[in-house]
Amino acid sequence: MDKELVESIVRNVLSNLDEGQSGSSKSPKKNTGGNGLTDKDYPLGEKRKDLVKTPSGKSLDDIKFEDIISGKTDGSELKITAETLNHQAEIARSVDREQFAKNLERAAELTRVDDDRILEIYNQLRPYRSTKQELLDIANELENKYDAVINAELIREAADVYEKRNRLKGDR
Amino acid sequence: MKRSKRFLELEKRPISNDGFIREWPEAGLVAMEGPDDPKPSVTVENGKIVELDGKRREDFDMLDSFIADHTLDLNIVEEVMAHDSKELAKKIVDLNVCRDEVKRFGLGMTPAKVVEVVGHMNVVEMMMAVQKMRARKTPSNQCHVTNVKDHPALLAADAAEAALRGFDEMETTVGIVRYAPSNAISIMVGSQTGRGGVLTQCAVEEAMELEMGMRGFTAYAETVSVYGTEQVFVDGDDTPWSKSFLASAYASRGLKMRYTSGTGSEAEMGFADGKSMLYLEARCLYMTKGAGVQGIQNGSISCIGVPGAVPSGVRAILAENLIAMLLDLECASGNDQTFTHSRTRRTARMLMQFLPGTDFIFSGYSAVPNYDNMFAGSTHDVDDYDDFLTLQRDLKVNGGLVPVDEEEVIKVRNKGVRALQAVFKELSMPDITDEEVEAATYAHGSKDMPDRDVRGDFRGIEDMLNRGTTGVQIVQALAKHGFEDVAENFFNLLKQRIAGDYLHTSAIFDENFHCISAVNDKNDYAGPGTGYRISDELWEKLKNTRLAKDPANIGE
Repeated sequence: MDKELVESIVRNVLSNLDEGQSGSSKSPKKNTGGNGLTDKDYPLGEKRKDLVKTPSGKSLDDIKFEDIISGKTDGSELKITAETLNHQAEIARSVDREQFAKNLERAAELTRVDDDRILEIYNQLRPYRSTKQELLDIANELENKYDAVINAELIREAADVYEKRNRLKGDR
Repeated sequence: MKRSKRFLELEKRPISNDGFIREWPEAGLVAMEGPDDPKPSVTVENGKIVELDGKRREDFDMLDSFIADHTLDLNIVEEVMAHDSKELAKKIVDLNVCRDEVKRFGLGMTPAKVVEVVGHMNVVEMMMAVQKMRARKTPSNQCHVTNVKDHPALLAADAAEAALRGFDEMETTVGIVRYAPSNAISIMVGSQTGRGGVLTQCAVEEAMELEMGMRGFTAYAETVSVYGTEQVFVDGDDTPWSKSFLASAYASRGLKMRYTSGTGSEAEMGFADGKSMLYLEARCLYMTKGAGVQGIQNGSISCIGVPGAVPSGVRAILAENLIAMLLDLECASGNDQTFTHSRTRRTARMLMQFLPGTDFIFSGYSAVPNYDNMFAGSTHDVDDYDDFLTLQRDLKVNGGLVPVDEEEVIKVRNKGVRALQAVFKELSMPDITDEEVEAATYAHGSKDMPDRDVRGDFRGIEDMLNRGTTGVQIVQALAKHGFEDVAENFFNLLKQRIAGDYLHTSAIFDENFHCISAVNDKNDYAGPGTGYRISDELWEKLKNTRLAKDPANIGE
């Protein structure tokens, strides 16, 4: 049992080393910012109100029912920000939900993309919709225009798999 | 042959109308332990999986690639795969091995391995495992709110009643697609009248579903289907990558979402690759986990006729719920679409999730009569409320419902419809008349409702959408017409998007909008006296059903 444990630790360390070497482009800047958030800080909206802001920088307590009714506060304030999503990703990691945390980090990037463009990109990602170049263009757009590095990586990966599996435009 | 009178009687029983078929593995008509299921195996080279369940990387299909690169944990997969499957099954069931230790195995098993592991369990052992492995400690329930006419007034009334009865999540869908926004708004207003904090969704095509969420007409999404073979996935007009992007799109708008999958879908669509239903479902679940989605609706769902027809099919459905939980996913565990004419089978199938408790025991329970259920019915419906409440009382189980008083129900239904009447007026949608309010308040189902002017409704919905209407206008409309409390609940639900606490695994809200999820309400079951227990306060409520007589009144 001890031998297994040691082996598993060694593998763990080695694989982390691997990631560090090969993947500076693979592991883009994460906004974890060292808040050290864990499940103890959850729900953020109750326990860490100081960290939760609206798109214009208002606090949760600033968003009042009366102001929504009167129109003083705009509906566009009722949105999650990239920072908050990264905080939630940190909490997810603290309870061993690595893939879910990554999803939240991709989501943080997508807060910068408007609704219509998101729907378009989603449709372009469906099978037989795009050429490989069109997918690579979307990846570049996400990376350069929106700083959406993780999403760009996902779409490049899709472009390769779609090519291999004949799921590109014209393959049907 | 001279017929036996006993057999003639048996032929009259409802179960005789059910469809059963013997196993046919080549067509995928085998629930689990399929003769052609791959043998579990994995090979890791240079930090990459080069072989998975007997297939080399160069032969990987989309799902294999996705699972190998996004789901499995390379640090542990070889170690866990080396364990004997029966030993792993024992640890999963053993209440002395804690959930966290078992959870670690999840990402170290390949799809073929996990299927082999659960194959060692009988249903009681699976229920033991579900009790320990479900993500949220407190069990809960979801319902369907739909009707044949897509009648907004009735949807609002039914949603209000369902919220009062205790459902934490509500799902609607449409008879006619163009009604979708109207249906979404109707159950949202109705549910927030019944109880603030109930989460609602509208199941339609993926892109449309996302748009309604972005507008604030829904609070979460669930009908984001994934499949266990590449061909069926593509026939469903998606890939693991498009679905992953969609998952992040929802989260980027602060909206909770889960995927949907289920045994039998591949066989039903004719591309099962000769594999068992459970093996293909395991692939769906590993794909879901890799996409980073917090949860899944599974338990065969709309394909239940398929596993329901073969041996051990209902066991396989429980097994698929369990696999979702082993992967630490929220599980809305089925019990929805009708699959049998037999009341006995219906109840037995439901007990598999009802007894151990799941994140959502039904997904969902029909909060309308079965003829109004646009998800092709549900195993239990409004006419079963007393039966269900009695089962909770008989067995001291929290199935997510509480007894209610008729007068209260009438009151809340009426208020829900009047609130929606105000919203429709303010959004310049076709009127909900006072006659419709009255009919919806007292209705059993849409047979008791006058018909709508469907064309007029479509024009109204289109205009409303073209004006760029969002949830905020609905909040304003409610407040303007004196439904301040409903408006405030609706507002609070929209406001929850800012903090995103309900994006997390198995999240629901209580009536004070306190978020309860597998982060702050972790399942800590470790045997008798631990894990979820019904509180004294809730038990007082559950005991006192409508049918239970007060001894003090006997003989009066």
